[in-house]
Amino acid sequence: MNAIILSALCGVVMMFSGILLKNKSAIKYVAIAALLVLIIGNLFQFYGIYTIDIDSKGLLSFDRTGLFFNTIIFVATLAYFILSGSDIERAGPDVAEYFALIFFVLCGVTILTSFNGLLMFFIGIEILSIPLYILTGSDKKNLKSNEASLKYFLMGSFSTGILLMGITLIYGATGSFGLQSTTIKSAVTGFSSAGILAPVGLVLLFISMCFKVSAAPFHFWAPDVYDGAPSVFTSFMATIVKAAGFFAFIKLFAAKSEDFGPGPAWKLILFVIIVATLFIGNITAVFQQSVKRMLAYSSIAQAGFMLFALYSTNDFTKDGILLYTAAYSFATIGIFSILTKMEDYSLDGFNGLSKSQPVLAFTNTVFFLSLSGIPLTAGFFAKYYMLASAIKGGGSLSLVIIAVLFAAVSVYYYFKVIQAMYFKEGVAATNTPITGNFKVALIVLAAIIVILGIYPTALLGFYYF
Amino acid sequence: MPIQYYIYLALSLFSIGVVGVLTRRNAIIIFMCIELMLNATNLLLVAFSKMHHAVALASNTATQVGIEGQLFVFFIMVVAAAEVSVGLAIIVMMYRNTHSVDINFLNRLKN
Amino acid sequence: MAITHIIFWFLTALALVSALMVLLSKNPVYSVLWLIAVFFAISGHYILLNAQFLAIVNMIVYAGAIMVLFLFVIMLMNLDKETEPQKDIWMKVAGVISGGCLLIQLVRLAKDAPEMVNKTALLKTGSIGLIENLGKVLFSDYVVPFEISSVLFLSAMVGAVVIGKK
Repeated sequence: MNAIILSALCGVVMMFSGILLKNKSAIKYVAIAALLVLIIGNLFQFYGIYTIDIDSKGLLSFDRTGLFFNTIIFVATLAYFILSGSDIERAGPDVAEYFALIFFVLCGVTILTSFNGLLMFFIGIEILSIPLYILTGSDKKNLKSNEASLKYFLMGSFSTGILLMGITLIYGATGSFGLQSTTIKSAVTGFSSAGILAPVGLVLLFISMCFKVSAAPFHFWAPDVYDGAPSVFTSFMATIVKAAGFFAFIKLFAAKSEDFGPGPAWKLILFVIIVATLFIGNITAVFQQSVKRMLAYSSIAQAGFMLFALYSTNDFTKDGILLYTAAYSFATIGIFSILTKMEDYSLDGFNGLSKSQPVLAFTNTVFFLSLSGIPLTAGFFAKYYMLASAIKGGGSLSLVIIAVLFAAVSVYYYFKVIQAMYFKEGVAATNTPITGNFKVALIVLAAIIVILGIYPTALLGFYYF
Repeated sequence: MPIQYYIYLALSLFSIGVVGVLTRRNAIIIFMCIELMLNATNLLLVAFSKMHHAVALASNTATQVGIEGQLFVFFIMVVAAAEVSVGLAIIVMMYRNTHSVDINFLNRLKN
Repeated sequence: MAITHIIFWFLTALALVSALMVLLSKNPVYSVLWLIAVFFAISGHYILLNAQFLAIVNMIVYAGAIMVLFLFVIMLMNLDKETEPQKDIWMKVAGVISGGCLLIQLVRLAKDAPEMVNKTALLKTGSIGLIENLGKVLFSDYVVPFEISSVLFLSAMVGAVVIGKK
């Protein structure tokens, strides 16, 4: 409860800071301070020291996984604020409001990690989405941003409609919005048993969640929206929001299925979706000339890996999704923070970055290596845990082989950027001078990724102790 | 009234909304069709809530079973109101720049 | 045929015809007006189901506030002419076919659903839809989501200001 209340309060504080503070970078420091309070408040609840206790009548339930996921998300947001805070300042005139909206999104995230019923799930999804529609369209004069916002909005509310129909049918069949025991469980196993409406509702729910996390074949909005949105907000959307969407997705479908495996029909659907997501994400990313658009497709490809957590539910899955969220979010936030500093977003814009900005080029290389899953980076163990869970989950070796093949494809297009930075001549121009603090922050982030790549238990150790 | 009739009615309204989203080009009309979809689910939720209530009423006359369905409808209305305010603001912003609400403009993003 | 049945079928027909007219009207203003008719029909259904609170809220919030907002925006944009360019006819056919398939599939599944056989929705009686009962539950068991939805409104408000400001 700490995180939900504090994040909403932080949002309100940010709204008022816009009136009281005229200095834009002061607003950024207020935001960082508010986020630190949020992290501490969440850790208090994680370690059971102090919790604001409000009886939610069983609508919310807090477990260690959710609270730990909150912590990862908040730390990633902290990295995002530190690295990209100055870019948020330049994104538009309403800096305080952007920070406020980001805190409201975090409130949605905290609800999605603790919901215990379809009602809170629905409200969480909406609190997560509505501020994002606005952040996408925050570059008001830019036509691309407008269009991305409208597209995101129409797609988002359309999928909300489908989501609600799914929830309604499940309610009709089971008579409750609860997650525990009856609802989802009877719906999942219902493929073979007597009920029909609950599985139908579950399929609709599944489709709409695929929309929200941009899994193929419901991914088509994602590249356009990620490309059209201001880069600094794309960074936030593609990492933190996406990871939260996945967490909710997995919590909804798998958390309650520990004592029974999803049925065969279910596995087949997921198999097709995972392969399609990996295929479309990776193959299309190869042909992109703009690094931003390439990252948009690569985020679809990464979604394919995160779906593995849904495919098989066992001990590895929980570790896997936590580690994957951390590895993927940190790396992508780092890449985007460098990308927003570049004058030219195309591949050629990175030519010769190693000459002009060696620190940026080096850290960027680390981030890309982590995304492609090279050993000694966090991305390797993240992918390893995901694939290991699929193998442990029961003989789906073909899926793992396909995933490894596509991971190899992803190495190709990530290396195109590294190649441009190191082996091509050119003057990679930045649009703002690079400060020393920014470089230090990047190096710290890269160091975290390498440390997680060597000792993944460093992160998971916090979770278990 | 048999619950099947309500299911058919709600699904028909829902599908009409889906067809509208798929076939129309005016962003405002698409948005209205989405509202139609939400209303179809609202109607079905209330019907289901009364259905569960009817079942529970047979054994206990003071039961409140089914009330959560109607509260869910209340929350859907809350969310829809918030969504409308944001959505119309986005559509107006788009209109200011392009003087059109035709969603075929959105295809330019692909290039 | 009891009077409630007549009302049920009348409201059903009204809702379906109006919903179709929302789709078929060329002029956006007419679409809005037909949609208001749908909402009134649905409100009628709520009254028939004895969900009086929702019936009133539906009329006030949807038909009253939301649709008037739509109407304002359409008037503001001067879209009251038949300005919508025609979509490719094949796209329309494809849309109608896929929507029709969805409907047929869902209805077929619902028709076969064994859990829905011989279930009825209680008409006219049942007190759960009354404002007293709903209010008591809303402010006791559901007070947390009720308060949390204020975050939603706050973000929508901030958003509308950010987007709407010149």
